[in-house]
Amino acid sequence: MPKAQLFITCLADQFYTKTLQNMTELLERLGVELVFPPEQTCCGQPLFNNGFEDKTRAVARNFLRSFGQSDAPIVGPSGSCVGMVKHHYLELFPEGTPEHEQALDITSRIYEFTEYVVNVLKETDLGAVYPHKVTYHASCHYLREMGLKTEAKTLINAVQGLEFVQLHEEETCCGFGGAFSVTYPEVSGSMVGNKVKNIIASGAETVITTEPGCLMNIAGGLRKSESPIRAMHIIDLLATKEGAA
Amino acid sequence: MTNPVLENIRRSLGRTDRSPVGLRPAIYTPRQPQTVDAELSLFFDELQKLAGVGAVVNPADIAAKLKELVETQEIKKATLWHTPLIGKLGIEEMLRSLGVELVPENAPKTELAHCDLGVTEADYILPETGTIVLHASAEMPRATSLLPRVHLALTTPDMLRPDLHQVFAEGKGNSYMVFISGPSRTADIELTTALGVHGPKDLYVWMVRK
Amino acid sequence: MSGRPVYVDFAGYTENVPPSIPAAVQLATARLAGGRAARVAELPEWEELRQIASDIRAHTIQHMDAYLTKFEQNFTAAGGQIHFAATDKDACQIVTDIAKEHGVKTAVKSKSMATEEIGLNDALAKAGIQAIETDLGEYIIQLAGTGPSHILAPAVHLKKEEIADIFTEKLGVDAPPDPQQLTRIARETLRAEFLKADMGISGGNFLIAETGTLVMVTNEGNGRMVSTMPELQVAIVGFDKIIPDWESLTIFLKLLARSATGQKMSTYTQFITGPRRSDDEGGPKEFHIVIIDNGRSKILKDPVGRDVLKCIRCSACANNCPVYQNVGGFAYGWFISGPIGAIYTPQILDTQAARELPFASTLCGACGDVCPVKIPIPDILRHLRRRVAEGDEFAEPSMPASIRAAAGVTSFALSQAWLYRLGSKILLTVTSIIQPYPLTRWTKIRPLPAFSAKFRGWWKSRKDGAK
Repeated sequence: MPKAQLFITCLADQFYTKTLQNMTELLERLGVELVFPPEQTCCGQPLFNNGFEDKTRAVARNFLRSFGQSDAPIVGPSGSCVGMVKHHYLELFPEGTPEHEQALDITSRIYEFTEYVVNVLKETDLGAVYPHKVTYHASCHYLREMGLKTEAKTLINAVQGLEFVQLHEEETCCGFGGAFSVTYPEVSGSMVGNKVKNIIASGAETVITTEPGCLMNIAGGLRKSESPIRAMHIIDLLATKEGAA
Repeated sequence: MTNPVLENIRRSLGRTDRSPVGLRPAIYTPRQPQTVDAELSLFFDELQKLAGVGAVVNPADIAAKLKELVETQEIKKATLWHTPLIGKLGIEEMLRSLGVELVPENAPKTELAHCDLGVTEADYILPETGTIVLHASAEMPRATSLLPRVHLALTTPDMLRPDLHQVFAEGKGNSYMVFISGPSRTADIELTTALGVHGPKDLYVWMVRK
Repeated sequence: MSGRPVYVDFAGYTENVPPSIPAAVQLATARLAGGRAARVAELPEWEELRQIASDIRAHTIQHMDAYLTKFEQNFTAAGGQIHFAATDKDACQIVTDIAKEHGVKTAVKSKSMATEEIGLNDALAKAGIQAIETDLGEYIIQLAGTGPSHILAPAVHLKKEEIADIFTEKLGVDAPPDPQQLTRIARETLRAEFLKADMGISGGNFLIAETGTLVMVTNEGNGRMVSTMPELQVAIVGFDKIIPDWESLTIFLKLLARSATGQKMSTYTQFITGPRRSDDEGGPKEFHIVIIDNGRSKILKDPVGRDVLKCIRCSACANNCPVYQNVGGFAYGWFISGPIGAIYTPQILDTQAARELPFASTLCGACGDVCPVKIPIPDILRHLRRRVAEGDEFAEPSMPASIRAAAGVTSFALSQAWLYRLGSKILLTVTSIIQPYPLTRWTKIRPLPAFSAKFRGWWKSRKDGAK
């Protein structure tokens, strides 16, 4: 029976309890034995992306410690958080540093959720039912840093009853950018405004994203525009059996 | 004599004037040509996309074509290169017989600026991008293809070159070379294309072939 | 806009972007980015070309001095006169001296970002020399008295009606709001200037070390005019424009126009090796090149930051940047905008003056994907963020102490699980009463979801229940 460690991310921890619960139940249904290291806090990305590399190390060390207790792979609901660990921890702990071996180990076994389901568990149909028009926003780090170009759409297209509509400028940034959204709120607002305009124009009832950060931003933007369109994390979509007995 | 800029560069790179230069990374294999007809067809397609006017012309038909150009473009004054192909075709006499006033190609620029037509040859043709290549010299002044509002370039199929590599290999020794890919253009106003900004508004390329 | 900014206030500018700017800029960027995408789709070898181009630029940077020396030798042998300027003031002095020596009253200029970088027009004006911009977009903004809003299409923020008004007012002609007519007016007005100008000032896209050749990539014909009509030509070029040889140029010419405007080749590309060889040929009798440093040699010390010197000024990064599309070029405070501006300006000026620019990005990565020479722009942005936040061997930190202190606190809180959990509970309580700063900066734009943070409790009770 495969085993995996839950990496819940600080954002989802604060705002998306339901999504984390869904992730837990989906993975267990797929036969994965789950572990939740309670000492985990954050991957350190907010500090790292804002230039505080030295200050990131303390946080990263806690990550390595929390997830180093088990040798099971680590799964998280965010391409940017997973990407931070996978692609930047070795920059933080290069050869010669005491944490280097641990970082090598951890970075070799960390996965984003859709990546884990499609590429490791080799599953595509999770039995979800969602009879609605759905569109997809490709999150920047998920797409470019993690290189996940097809996994999300594969899972979306396997959902029963779902009608997929293409989003114009699907790969254009929604304007979250972490601290950017509060450092330059007006620019962030313009960018999410464009994204919301495109979502509305797509005719979709629901927009799916793989990123808690994008989700916060886009959901907020849709509410601000008083649009009835729902923004959902892909995990929540995959956990839905709408209309099923 | 020290050059402080070069010295700063060396210091930043940790080099001296004796430091070696490694081999430059390799370039990929250049394009191979297709048949002459295919290359010509490609060239004229691309030229047309750029709003240039291209044609294969039989030497016997040049006089008629020239008459047509002079009439439609209302050519009153022209300047031309005295280069072999232009001489062989008798362009100068043809223009004179059409009543076009001829200005020597080395006339002052203020006179050349009043010419409606400039006739040159093209030293190379690059089909992929619809480009003609001109050298410059005393016999082939730069302004002939620049100042007049209509530019006519005459050439032959053996000026075709498959790729930039060949043009550069052959042409790099010249002190001046210009690639011309269509008429002068801008999109600076609301991204709307406008032709004939400072260079010629009309470009004709005649491929002379029996 | 010329002369070095004292401080680039990205936050201040972007708080109130005039709404006409994003609309106009997006019109341009959509066209240019779309054109580029179409050309890229036609070339299956595109990624291979990018890699080779990147490798050649990296190699050239590592051997910069040798190639510049070679260029100097060859250009001089061809009859050219070469000058090296360490600073922008030196460069302006050299050009002004050349102009004064030749009794120059008016000069015609073709588009050159290097001349904007050094503030040449102002320096010449102070010396009583009039420099007329002849690139249509530059001509328009010169008449309008503003700076460029885009690297390639500097007047893209202006509507044709505004341009017609500018022409009517400044040229005293009846100018209709039609691009073809406006272009014709510019052609006639500037032709007179080309013919009587004493000096031509240009930039340069590439310097070929192999033969001492200057390469100018243009579309309008003004570049050819500037380098053909006056008896004297001066080209101002950053030393990073050097390339080893003509073979290398085959790659760059395949990438440049396609990346910039979606053209397969720009209308006019000139390859000029020294002054004219005979009077009959036409072209300048005297040809000077001023090679500028202006801080580039300082950048060479930084193995990460110096990749910015690979840039071939195509603007693909800006055309594909959603931040740039929503703020336009003026937000970047200097002559160079978009992602490349965000990594160039902080390295050329002192970090403090441009400390906001590395943060003027969401790190989405679209720029890095389209850069024809594979500059890792997002990595360099983060590298410069570190310089601002923590300092490095090139600069002291310039981020306000309060933010750095807050980062320290955050780091500590996030590294201790108990403190993180405590902080989470406090946040849950506090936000049920008020919205503290910086959350208010989020909510001024869009609502925040509710804090819930119940997963840990849920997991624990599940585990306990399962026992």
